[in-house]
Amino acid sequence: MENRVERLSQLLRNLEVEIGTSDLANLILMALLDAVIALKVKNSKEFCRQFKELVNDLKNTEPKFGILNYRLDSLVKYFKETVCCQHYEEEQWKKEVVESINKILIKSHQERAKLIHEAEGLNVEHKTILIHDHSHTVHRVLKHFRSMGKHFKVVIAEQDFDKTHSNIESMHSAGIPFQVVPAYMLSHIHKEIDMLFFGGLTLKDTMDFVMDPGTLSLISEFHEEGIPVYMFIDTAKFSLWKSKKRGEIFMHKHLRTHAYQPIEYERVKYSHDRVPAKLFYRLVTNEGIFTPEELEKIFKEKMEKYERGEEID
Amino acid sequence: MEYLALAIFFSVFVFIIFDLYDKSLVALFGAFLMIVLGILGAEEAVSAIKFEAIFLLLGMMIIVNIASKSGIFQWASVKIAALTKGNPLAIFLFFSILTGLASAFLDNVTTILLIVPLTIELLRGMGKDPKPYLFSEIMFSNIGGDLTLIGDASNIIIGSASGLGFLDFIKNLWIPVLAVGIFTILAFVVFKWKDLKPHSDDLGKLFIANVIIRKIKNKFAKVSLSKSFVIKVVSIIILTILAFLIQEYLGLPNYVIAFIGAILLGILVSKKVHIHEALKSVEWTTLFFFSGLFIMVAGLEKTGLLETLSQAIASSTNNVFYLSLIILWICGIFSMILDNVPFVTVMIPVILGIQTQFPGTDTTVLWWALSMGACLGGNGTLVGGSANVVAAGLAKKDGVHISFLEYLKFGLPITTGMLLISSLYLFLRFA
Repeated sequence: MENRVERLSQLLRNLEVEIGTSDLANLILMALLDAVIALKVKNSKEFCRQFKELVNDLKNTEPKFGILNYRLDSLVKYFKETVCCQHYEEEQWKKEVVESINKILIKSHQERAKLIHEAEGLNVEHKTILIHDHSHTVHRVLKHFRSMGKHFKVVIAEQDFDKTHSNIESMHSAGIPFQVVPAYMLSHIHKEIDMLFFGGLTLKDTMDFVMDPGTLSLISEFHEEGIPVYMFIDTAKFSLWKSKKRGEIFMHKHLRTHAYQPIEYERVKYSHDRVPAKLFYRLVTNEGIFTPEELEKIFKEKMEKYERGEEID
Repeated sequence: MEYLALAIFFSVFVFIIFDLYDKSLVALFGAFLMIVLGILGAEEAVSAIKFEAIFLLLGMMIIVNIASKSGIFQWASVKIAALTKGNPLAIFLFFSILTGLASAFLDNVTTILLIVPLTIELLRGMGKDPKPYLFSEIMFSNIGGDLTLIGDASNIIIGSASGLGFLDFIKNLWIPVLAVGIFTILAFVVFKWKDLKPHSDDLGKLFIANVIIRKIKNKFAKVSLSKSFVIKVVSIIILTILAFLIQEYLGLPNYVIAFIGAILLGILVSKKVHIHEALKSVEWTTLFFFSGLFIMVAGLEKTGLLETLSQAIASSTNNVFYLSLIILWICGIFSMILDNVPFVTVMIPVILGIQTQFPGTDTTVLWWALSMGACLGGNGTLVGGSANVVAAGLAKKDGVHISFLEYLKFGLPITTGMLLISSLYLFLRFA
């Protein structure tokens, strides 16, 4: 049996692919809430010991999810000052713990609302927007524009079956007019596209965004054509530590068989792309809309703060 | 002629056991061989097919296929998974009981297809061995299937041959089914407590379990349930079961009730599920397999071999209770190693023959013995029932390899216990 860190790593990676980083962080907190409610330990001391071990394992997973780590840091800090520094009986500590997790969840929803509010500054009226990854943040922003009565069209760049279908379902449910074009045929519609919207997993200290596979070539192509590419990202997703390796990119090798002939071949897939921030025209965050240069400055400030041990999220 | 018929029948059995060709092809080939070689006339062969059993199966398959497209079964299993809150004992109990209940009214394989992947995802994610849970689900699908006329193919065949109704099966089998169910749960809890015990004092385990439950819920949330579709499906299933229950008063045969249910559901949801789709998902090979078997057994019957067998069994004792025990155990042992349907099909004319040897005596108990032997005996080995084979296949696909011996270690003693409980029931009720 694999150990807990490996199991958690795999679970988090699968979840990130399915629901995106922001929703992953929220899901983890909600699962923690469920677990705390079901937990039966005598006092807060025992809870603190187990919580510390769990946080340690979660923070050792690969890849690291900044947004999740900062929230766990907040909880650790809060518990250190409350339930873990004095003796609490079961009902007392549970109440305290549940309330603090709920507070973080509320804050996360507020940050999400702020990002959408900042996005209102973009002019999408009668524009054609290209999307590729299945970023839930981009979906939320587009849905918000639609609910504001804006008129725009979406072109979905076709990629992996599941991700393309997730985009189609999302656009359909919001009543947004859309068209699907295979990602390798986009050169034929450069002139029809006014802007591109993307979401990202994180921003590294190298000023590279970790994004869905296939995005680097697509963004480079449109950047070359001078068509504005926008990134929508919560600043809580930034990886505020020195990146040591390309730990977030996983290679999946598997054997495939030819559809009609008995030919077996090795197929290689990669989990993510690294995309330089400078390829983006603007970066829309919960703290405002920035140029790549401005964002680098903000990133460095946050990183210094993090290194000093100050609270980020 | 007798030897020729026997040779064809046993050759077909061997081909089925070793899975050399699809069993429907083998059974149909054997049936046509009997016609071509003159053992049975063509008209006799057609009239040997028990169309009431075939139509009842067909009707239920259509209902289940359409119903599964509504997402209601997925919804129910996800809800149950959420209710367990990641507690291993609750997962074991809820999933086993759900499998048993669902198998009583739906097809066993459909139930297994739904429950097994969910169980593996949940348990493996939690770092637990899913095998004890899967073994229990396999067993409960066979136990639940024994409860009703529509729960297992062998019961459908028994029902159509004996004229026993839906309510008769429930009235006579609920006690042994319940007792066997409790026994199975207790056996697993006692011998596999290490794998099943709740971990309510372990935050890490609770956390991982709840992450997986939320992941499963989230995956299901993407599937949009159509309220009207679900209402129509649930209403038709309830109405069909109610009609089965009051079949005596309605005066309609079971297959007519199932077919009316299927047709009504097909009409009501025609905009959601095209009837072509529903018919495509019918297991036609199973229906052809049964047809072939019916013809072959008729061929054997015509040669007088089965009558001789009936007389031999009947002459071994003049006590119907002892006869029922013989049938229970022979059928139970055969069902452990063979597909129970061919065996039950052979046993039908044998039991009908035995009944003629006991005029004026109530010999219904023999049918219950046959049903319990066929359904519960299937739990003995990994090849004892279609649910067992399908569950092992699904598990293998998900990286959980269940070996024949691994299952046998659990299956054989527990099935022996089940057959002992069934014997006790027969003794208390009919001795």
